[in-house]
Amino acid sequence: MLLLKTSVATGLDTLAGMHQALQSAIKLEHSTIPPYLYALYSLKPGYNEEIRQLIHSIVSEEMLHMSLACNILNAIGGQPNIDSPGFIPTYPGPLPGTVEHGLIVPLKPFSLELLSSVFMVIEEPENPLHFPQQRLMSGEVPETRTIGQFYDAIKQALLAHGKDWFTGNPDLQVSSWGIPAVTDLTSALAAIDLIVEQGEGTKDSPLDPEDEPAHYYRFAEIYYGHQLRPNPNVQPDTPPNQKYIYDGPVIPFDPAGVWPALTNPRLQDYAPGSIPLYACQNFSYTYTGVLKALHKTFNGQPDYLRTAIGLMESLKAQAQIIMATPAALGVSANAGPTFEYLPVLPVQ
Amino acid sequence: MSYLNGLRLHFAGRFQAAPSTVNNDITHFNNATFKPSYQQPQDASGPNGWWNPGGGAEWRLLGCTVTGAWMGGGQAANGDPILGCVVADSDRRAPAKIVDLDPQQQMVSQIWGLEVRICTAAGALLLRGQYEPTGFTDIWDRSHNGGGDSGASSMYQSVLTNLEWGDLRASPFMQALQATAAGPDGRLSIKFNVDGYNMNPTSPEFTRGRIVGTIGPATVDEPKHFVPGRQFVPEAALGSGFFTPTTGLGFCVAQVDTADSCIYLDLGNAVPTTVPGGPMLNQGQLQLVAWVQPDNQNPFFQNIGDPIDYMSPDWYARTAGVVMLPATRALTADELSAVQNNQLGLLLTNGNTRQLTPESPQGLYVRADTFVFRLDAGQTATLDLWATQFGQPLPAAQGPILLQLDPSQLQGGPGEPAVATPTTALTFPAQVQTDANGRATVQVQANDLSSPRDYIDGQVYGLRASLPAIGYDLTDYPLGQWNFVSLLVFDPYTPKEPVTWYDDLQPIFQQYANLYPIMSRFLNLADPQAVWANRELLLMAFGLPITDANTMPVTRDLSGPKRAAILRWLGQSELQMGQPPMTEPQPQALAETAAPTVAGPPAAAPAGAPTGAPRGGKTAAAARRLVLQKP
Repeated sequence: MLLLKTSVATGLDTLAGMHQALQSAIKLEHSTIPPYLYALYSLKPGYNEEIRQLIHSIVSEEMLHMSLACNILNAIGGQPNIDSPGFIPTYPGPLPGTVEHGLIVPLKPFSLELLSSVFMVIEEPENPLHFPQQRLMSGEVPETRTIGQFYDAIKQALLAHGKDWFTGNPDLQVSSWGIPAVTDLTSALAAIDLIVEQGEGTKDSPLDPEDEPAHYYRFAEIYYGHQLRPNPNVQPDTPPNQKYIYDGPVIPFDPAGVWPALTNPRLQDYAPGSIPLYACQNFSYTYTGVLKALHKTFNGQPDYLRTAIGLMESLKAQAQIIMATPAALGVSANAGPTFEYLPVLPVQ
Repeated sequence: MSYLNGLRLHFAGRFQAAPSTVNNDITHFNNATFKPSYQQPQDASGPNGWWNPGGGAEWRLLGCTVTGAWMGGGQAANGDPILGCVVADSDRRAPAKIVDLDPQQQMVSQIWGLEVRICTAAGALLLRGQYEPTGFTDIWDRSHNGGGDSGASSMYQSVLTNLEWGDLRASPFMQALQATAAGPDGRLSIKFNVDGYNMNPTSPEFTRGRIVGTIGPATVDEPKHFVPGRQFVPEAALGSGFFTPTTGLGFCVAQVDTADSCIYLDLGNAVPTTVPGGPMLNQGQLQLVAWVQPDNQNPFFQNIGDPIDYMSPDWYARTAGVVMLPATRALTADELSAVQNNQLGLLLTNGNTRQLTPESPQGLYVRADTFVFRLDAGQTATLDLWATQFGQPLPAAQGPILLQLDPSQLQGGPGEPAVATPTTALTFPAQVQTDANGRATVQVQANDLSSPRDYIDGQVYGLRASLPAIGYDLTDYPLGQWNFVSLLVFDPYTPKEPVTWYDDLQPIFQQYANLYPIMSRFLNLADPQAVWANRELLLMAFGLPITDANTMPVTRDLSGPKRAAILRWLGQSELQMGQPPMTEPQPQALAETAAPTVAGPPAAAPAGAPTGAPRGGKTAAAARRLVLQKP
């Protein structure tokens, strides 16, 4: 379970504090995307198709969550800041806003170990079904917050103080590609519920409002190698953690269908003048371009989203080529795309 | 005005053009005979999918920097912070695309969806502009050693519109440029030359080449894609390459600037190189001359300015081949008179050898501004024709502009469908009068075709303009071999009702899955379930304007009615399969089975690997030109 510093959600009773908290939410939602994409891209074409689709669905929802956080911030008159050098975290490292001694998130090719030690930790709910939970001692002052608590704090503060905050220009709202607009308190609360439930499920069910397993459980499906399905023997008194069971259709994993890509590649790791350096510079330049396109989208030009989506699609083909390229002469590992802020393509 | 102007900047760097080459062979469009090997790179066993079957059509500016800037009147913008700034493509959308018009007209490849950006080295924006798509022209065999596509050079000229300016306070040069482009119609002229293209798949430079270019002012009442100035038209040597001049220089243009009292000459695509993308070839002294032909006296060459310093260090990168003549003083009245009333020439003197590259005959010239068109049946192309003499509007009294079909530069080899037939597919006047500005607008109407090329949609045509005093010499092309209009006319198409996969989409999408293996990285276009599952993305991509970098098909070779049918199918509430044909269509999962082996980058890049000139590029297409197939 990720633990956030309390400082990311302080002063929520003021509009400025709420702006800051939502900007933190945008950064946090984004920060999961590079590691998930890295694992996704590491799956060789034609292999591990079910796993690819599950991870892809999770990444898509992380993008939705980031978009919803932007919409809420715009709805209360803030300005999402997506195009800045510090927006992309350094990998390996803690996700933005999380405690320093907490989870260190790497860029690594897909493996079941990565799934259980990183991705399922990122997505782990406060009270995961099937797993024991860690409760705070009564009266103890919490110094950290889970993601669910973070969003709940935002929600409670909006309920308490936010009814006059929704003065943002509705024309700034992005409402295409399945992203709901946020224009008032009700739609903001619904957006927060969607973020939390897609990520964590609900207290009693692993399913999100679309009846899909929440992210944690989707990763667990891959880990256990079976889809999650309702327990056919459920009784009225069956406890929540027995209502579902990982014994649905098989989700096979073929380790040979993963590119042996580098872990935590940086541009500086590649030889000057080499094919992987050029390709990774192009990738980082394109990724920076995605952030710039999203910044434009959420700062006054909602229609620009389709251009951003087009750019994201071009990332995919680039990454697949990079992952199939040796990192250097005589090295057994393949290259991996770098997620670095690169506003100008270097002289090559 | 135009880039060939006193106020201008030059840039130099690299470019990337990474087309898919499976579609370089027209027979690959035939779904019935397509083989999976066509998606593999060429090897010892055969040409397969030529040299870059995995290409995604990206066209990029790479590491280009501003190498020179001029304030006008020969005054260098020394010390201006624009020097060293970056000329880049878009930092916020997909890269531009390079697209052939057709496998049987590969000599006008267009750049679509290019945004040109000038920024500081740290990325601070100075200028953003949208590049109006255009094809290259004047391709020629530039390199003295090493031919093929790598030895070729060509040029692109267009305009930047929808200009967005950044903080220009530090740069007087950029402020001066901005002042020329005020208002909503503000635009700039941009021209660049590309050569030294690398076709060696084991090199980090694969699909890249050298680019040098110039950006300057533009106005709405001048051509976008050429300079209506003094056109130098070399004669062609015999051979099957692109174009080899007999007199040492390629096509080029000069502009007489009476305000600056000088001549701006653009040699950027005209001086040969020693090797592909290499230094300029020293051919001796290069001098601009007026070819004075007085009554009752022998003609003579009058020097205009000093010899051109084309061999000075870094000349090409610093100037992009643009020179001002005279270099250090104004034209004398005598020189100006000689220039305005006589044919010009570029004289190369090397020992006792003299070679003259002349201006077009009698200084006459005619050209269509936009010269590449795609037309649905019933649509018209509007040709914007400009007739000039000695760079001035040609008076209407000198006669009309002539137009005739000319397929001679189109490419159709043995075993391929015939090009440019039927000739009834286009309706246009054989001649047209010019206005007081030497201009004429002509509508070229596309008529219904009945699939003259069977397995590939539509037909390609060439349309050449000339003048009565020039006529049609289809051997020497006195106004330039490449000076003609290329048109792709699509077959008429009426989809079934409702639109179904088998009746309408399957043949189209199977062809794309065959020809563009890179698509399999996204989805298998030949699989209706995969297409249906991705319909939201596909609806967006097929609905984008053709100018958008992300439009589908990337190749822009789909007619309007077929695009509309695809959009209707994708927009239906349920998957409409229709009835499969009696004979099963081609292997539906071709792209899928081929996916894991899509040509990726090579495993290693041996140091010093030679730059080969594999088959399947422009050189192979140029060798199939009809003009070379005359009995």
